[in-house]
Amino acid sequence: MNGRAPNWPHIGLALVVIGALIAAPQILTGGVAQNLAILSILYAVVASNWDLTLGYAGIFNFAHVAFFGIGSYVAAISTLQFGVPVWWDLALAVVVVMVVSGVVSSLALRLRGIYVALVTFAVTQLCVALINSQKDITGGPVGLIGVPDLQIGSLAFGSDARAYFYAAEILLLASTIGLRLLVSSNFGLSLVALRDNESYAVSRGMPARRQRVLAMIASSIPTSLAGCLYAHYLIVASPDVFSFSLTTLLLTMVLVGGAGTIYGPIVAAFVLTVGTEKLSGLGNVRYMVVAVLIVLTLRFLPGGLWSLGRVRWPASPAAAPASAASFDLKERPE
Amino acid sequence: MSAIIVSGLVSGALYALIASGLSLVWGALGVFNFAHGVLLMAGAYVAWWLSSPDGLGLGLPVAILATLVFLIAAGAILFFLLVRPWVGKPNAELAVIMTTIAGSIFTQNLVLEVFGGRYKTIDQVVSGTIWIGGTAIAAQNLLCIVLAPVLLVGMWILLTRTRTGLAIRAVAENQDVAQLFGIGVQRIYLVTFAASAVLAGLAGILLGGLFNISPDMGTDPLLRAFVVVVFGGLGSLPGTIVGAYSVGMIEAFASYYIGIYWTPVVLFLVLIAVLVIRPTGLFGRAS
Repeated sequence: MNGRAPNWPHIGLALVVIGALIAAPQILTGGVAQNLAILSILYAVVASNWDLTLGYAGIFNFAHVAFFGIGSYVAAISTLQFGVPVWWDLALAVVVVMVVSGVVSSLALRLRGIYVALVTFAVTQLCVALINSQKDITGGPVGLIGVPDLQIGSLAFGSDARAYFYAAEILLLASTIGLRLLVSSNFGLSLVALRDNESYAVSRGMPARRQRVLAMIASSIPTSLAGCLYAHYLIVASPDVFSFSLTTLLLTMVLVGGAGTIYGPIVAAFVLTVGTEKLSGLGNVRYMVVAVLIVLTLRFLPGGLWSLGRVRWPASPAAAPASAASFDLKERPE
Repeated sequence: MSAIIVSGLVSGALYALIASGLSLVWGALGVFNFAHGVLLMAGAYVAWWLSSPDGLGLGLPVAILATLVFLIAAGAILFFLLVRPWVGKPNAELAVIMTTIAGSIFTQNLVLEVFGGRYKTIDQVVSGTIWIGGTAIAAQNLLCIVLAPVLLVGMWILLTRTRTGLAIRAVAENQDVAQLFGIGVQRIYLVTFAASAVLAGLAGILLGGLFNISPDMGTDPLLRAFVVVVFGGLGSLPGTIVGAYSVGMIEAFASYYIGIYWTPVVLFLVLIAVLVIRPTGLFGRAS
């Protein structure tokens, strides 16, 4: 990120990625593959943003799935119940989720350690409880069906799912670039410093709670947009988005992919979404397989899948503090 | 009115059994067992399989004793496979949350494969209805109300009056010093997990007599137990018990007066309010 000499391998890599992003929706047009790709991309957005708070900032934030769910419900409720035109609901969702995440995190971050996990978890459950209690607005346990399509001019996205594919890709690309810039900025470094040695970082003048609340708010923005796209694409908003199983799936992406890497959770999102689909012939046994893989990864590859790459290509100095800190705090002097 | 109180006491008793195990493990090891709900479920299923005519048909008393043995083993297996490798490592809290979640996914789906998805019921340990002061109480409910405090007092005596209990508290207080004094820390961890599994499993057997048993029957009680331990303060047995009965009562009264859909909303709002006022719960220690 020094921005002096052009870094040709990086520019080459960027061109390959952009080429792949343009080509993929044209190649993957089969229903199943297309659907899996779009879902993988949206999960990748959610998981990589969760990594900002969980991996980089070290906050035991279990409310991240709620941001995704609230995003999808704001899209559904505002368009269906209040006639908000499409696209505007996206803006509304971002605002609502930013406010929710700001309030939740400034309350939850008064607490420490495991209590943060339990309270943020409770917030997710509170969302489900509210949705079930407000049946007239939210559709209750069934959810809201018939979320209108996104539309540009006369192109309804639903008539050609490639449009959703591109929209999801743009979101993932923008979110990933944003996240990488954020974690390598002074702000990102302050989050890592607070995670690794809070008392020292605070003594050097870092406002712990403010930085963490800001991280929570930042991570909630792309997440809420992913929730909106999810609702528009699937044309439903259902309480399943707050479910324990989706929380687990996304958490698995973060930890198995590699906490504190941003790219790891993205890779894991594709691997896990496609992988569980490929194993669908096994029925429920596939979840058992995934569970065993989670435990084995945490046991023998604590840095996650992404750390496999690091063994062969040593980390660049800019990336090192984040990756090393995640699971090797022990050696650091107090 | 008295019916509401009875229902609050029954839920409070079950929550106390479930949450005290969580709290005990947290106190000793500093990890949070997300597979606690699955222990509850496993206890109920094993008791059903051993007792029911569709299973081995051994009758309930034998089944319950055998289930206790199973639960001790299950707690030990859980500890060795999903907790022990990470204890004392950096990020243990997060890793163990994840491994125990994985363990519960595994077990839930295993149970689904083995026993199928149909709801089952365990015979009630005691049946019939008992009248106390003009209120009819199902005998099973009364058993919950009576048995839970007995078990909790038993645990309290174990923790305060026996050498093992002293060792558990010593490990919870300061693991290194405890080890210096010759306490087998690993053995204490094992005892703690086994005890917490037994409490969860007994709650499962009692619940199985009140409601249907299903692979995900542990999920809701576990969520309530989260609320309870946060409410009362993790690692504090008195706090957990007070928290459990408060949550049970709030639920019972809220569902009577403002409806079942609003109950969780009230519960979580009360919880958040408690935390804002007292961030370590009612009885918790600052960590």
